[in-house]
Amino acid sequence: MIDAHRPGVVPGFVLRPPTGSYHALNPSTKLVLAFAEAAVAFGVRGWTGPLVVIAIVIATATAARVGRSLVPFALAVIPLVASILLVNTFLFPGATDVIARIGPLAPTWTGLEAALQATLRVAAFALSVAVFALTTPTDDLLADLERRGLGRRGVFVIGAAIGMIPRMVERASEITDSQRARGLDTEGSRWRRIRGVVPLAAPMIIGALSEVEERTMALEARAFSAPGRRTILRPLPDSAWQRIVRWVAGLGAIILVAASVAGLLPVP
Amino acid sequence: MRDARYAYAGTSRQVLAGVDLDVEAGRVVAVVGPNEAGKSTLCLVAAGLAPIAIGGRLEGSVLLAGDETAGLAAYQAAQRCGILFQNPATQLSGTTSTVWEEIAFGPRNLGLDIGAIVERVEGAMATLDIAGLADRDPQRLSGGQAQLVALASVLALRPSLLVLDEPTSQLDPAGTRLVGDALGRFAADNGTAVLLVEHKTGLVARIADEVAVLVGGRIVEHGPTAEILRDPALAEHGVDPPPAVRIERAVAAAGRSGDLAGLDLAALEVDPIAGAPRPTGAPLPTGARA
Amino acid sequence: MSEPAILVENVAFDYPRGVRALDGIDLRIDGGERVVVVGQNGSGKSTLVRQFNGLLRPTAGSVSINGRPIGRRHVADLAREVGLAFQNPDRQIFAGTVRAEVAFGPRNLGLGETERDAAVERALATVGLAGDEATNPYDLGFSRRKLLALGSILAMETPIVILDEPTTGQDARGIERVQRIVADLSAAGRTVIAVSHDMRFVAESFERVVVMRAGRIVLDGTPAEAFAEAAWPALASTYLEPPLAARVGARLGLGATPTEASLVGALTTRATAGR
Repeated sequence: MIDAHRPGVVPGFVLRPPTGSYHALNPSTKLVLAFAEAAVAFGVRGWTGPLVVIAIVIATATAARVGRSLVPFALAVIPLVASILLVNTFLFPGATDVIARIGPLAPTWTGLEAALQATLRVAAFALSVAVFALTTPTDDLLADLERRGLGRRGVFVIGAAIGMIPRMVERASEITDSQRARGLDTEGSRWRRIRGVVPLAAPMIIGALSEVEERTMALEARAFSAPGRRTILRPLPDSAWQRIVRWVAGLGAIILVAASVAGLLPVP
Repeated sequence: MRDARYAYAGTSRQVLAGVDLDVEAGRVVAVVGPNEAGKSTLCLVAAGLAPIAIGGRLEGSVLLAGDETAGLAAYQAAQRCGILFQNPATQLSGTTSTVWEEIAFGPRNLGLDIGAIVERVEGAMATLDIAGLADRDPQRLSGGQAQLVALASVLALRPSLLVLDEPTSQLDPAGTRLVGDALGRFAADNGTAVLLVEHKTGLVARIADEVAVLVGGRIVEHGPTAEILRDPALAEHGVDPPPAVRIERAVAAAGRSGDLAGLDLAALEVDPIAGAPRPTGAPLPTGARA
Repeated sequence: MSEPAILVENVAFDYPRGVRALDGIDLRIDGGERVVVVGQNGSGKSTLVRQFNGLLRPTAGSVSINGRPIGRRHVADLAREVGLAFQNPDRQIFAGTVRAEVAFGPRNLGLGETERDAAVERALATVGLAGDEATNPYDLGFSRRKLLALGSILAMETPIVILDEPTTGQDARGIERVQRIVADLSAAGRTVIAVSHDMRFVAESFERVVVMRAGRIVLDGTPAEAFAEAAWPALASTYLEPPLAARVGARLGLGATPTEASLVGALTTRATAGR
């Protein structure tokens, strides 16, 4: 049963209105902001860049009420961060200000400083990507790109590619089962498993190709190649000030990074 | 179609070797025949997909709503003729998150305004009685449900002809029942012309007005349903008569026809069993294979 | 009593995501039986037969083939005893000629060249593809490709043969051929197990029907028992319907008549008894 479905209008579960003012921003705005944050996090030398970005990202996340959802993303970078810390602290080339000697290991303050900076950059990048992903449904992003000229084919290819993966996995597993049932050994020695490549790959490829043909026909049967623009079901409002914000953020990030690289940015 | 002959791209063999066939508004024409007779090719030619979308050589005349298919663009053919294939999975776009949006796919492609899109989606869902599926994920439907969604998405283009290429052949009994019943209601209420290719002659007996037998790329018989399905020559063409006809013949051969007097075998075949659940709505358990 | 061909003892099977697909299955199939498993999609029928050749391993309970528990035997090893013909031939066919495709199984089993050629020829004859040895499988239509896939399993000459939806997508001639193959295999003493939702095929070709629903066996008996009116609610609960012959027989009060032949027989018997 559909609860709030009134006939004659596009239903709520299709419109999926945004749940918050940051969410309601145009997807391109959110995308540009994420890129700008990532650029500054990595491109500006010193501590200020990443720290400022982290502050902005956390503030944005809190305002958009996705703060708690950032935690899994933060946890996901821990393995990378741990290896950065270890490598840089213990093995930073040319550093001589040793913290302590522990057997053959000689961690250095320079190394530690570099490690912590690198950690902050990674964290800033990951969190800004996370905020973008949490506030921007893929559908909306693709719809906006289409409106800006990517075209229905580009959007379809991206959207369908994502959906294709589980289907391919399922097909691969059925092909493998069929061939194993005919005695193909996938559990034995490496040589026997190599012989299995053609019987496993060939049906996969043939199947993928014939599926392409069937899908193309189904698309044509739904007027996919009609000229003109597709109707947009969900309005994605944009505004002048968002456009300004995008330009400012984009150019600003480039300028900051360039300045920093040229040594003109006097911040720690 | 008049003297339609067709060979696939890169081949020389004419899969259709001179077919004459008319499907009029409001009529259901079924096509039966052995496998490899050209039935699927007939569907593609009727819908215009051959040669427009897949190439190949078409000779003779194929008119869709008065215009030669060879002169149409694919999206124009799609608005005159909707086609449904056997495999529900490959007909769903895979890019929509709700059934409603899946059905809106076609109208959106045409650039219709929102009001028209809403009207068509609701109309298609009402015709097939699937409004209850509107907010579901198209990838998580049973085979029969997915077929109905695929059908709704072509009906949303309001074609005047509907071509069905063995729509129930890959479905389990529940799905077959679901789709068969929907087609039965559709055929009865609608002014759309329907061309149905089917093996299940029981379904053909229930919903078709005329039956054509296609063998080796040619139509060898064509007439009213009851007449063709009762024709003893049908079996020679590799087509199984419907269960009701087979039973009547077997009983007659044993001289016991009188015992069947008063029994409507065709109706008995579709009599619902007391207490049987209706096969709509219930999703498959996730992760389960058949 | 000799060892059963297949013995399933209290088997349960859970998919990785926790869905219980088989629950408390006990089943004994003796050599030479013709058994068919029916039920709607999701009832567990395909999951069950895949336990017989090791493609799936029970989460609980055990499966024994010809008296030996499967244990950790490889699928490739079990393929000597249990052949499984899949529903979709296009998820299996990879060779450029019909002959090479059918020879794949016997080659994997390590048969010598002469033995292999003989097995391939016998299999091709059985499925009606004897003249098409050099044809590319994709030049055959779908129903003959399906027979080709079946042939590639028959060539392995396993004592137990499992057929997953052998009649789906087949035309009338194809179905007849499948029925003949089932009869011939059984006559040769092989055990035939099928999964099907073609109720007429089920009633005519098999001596035992196992009805499944939600991972359990709800009915196990002859076609007459499975399609008798008393069993209809159980069938309906898994979205199955009895064949028309059974319905007619029930309406006319003739008892269980799952096939046309039995219906005609019952009518004739009643007529002669009435005299």
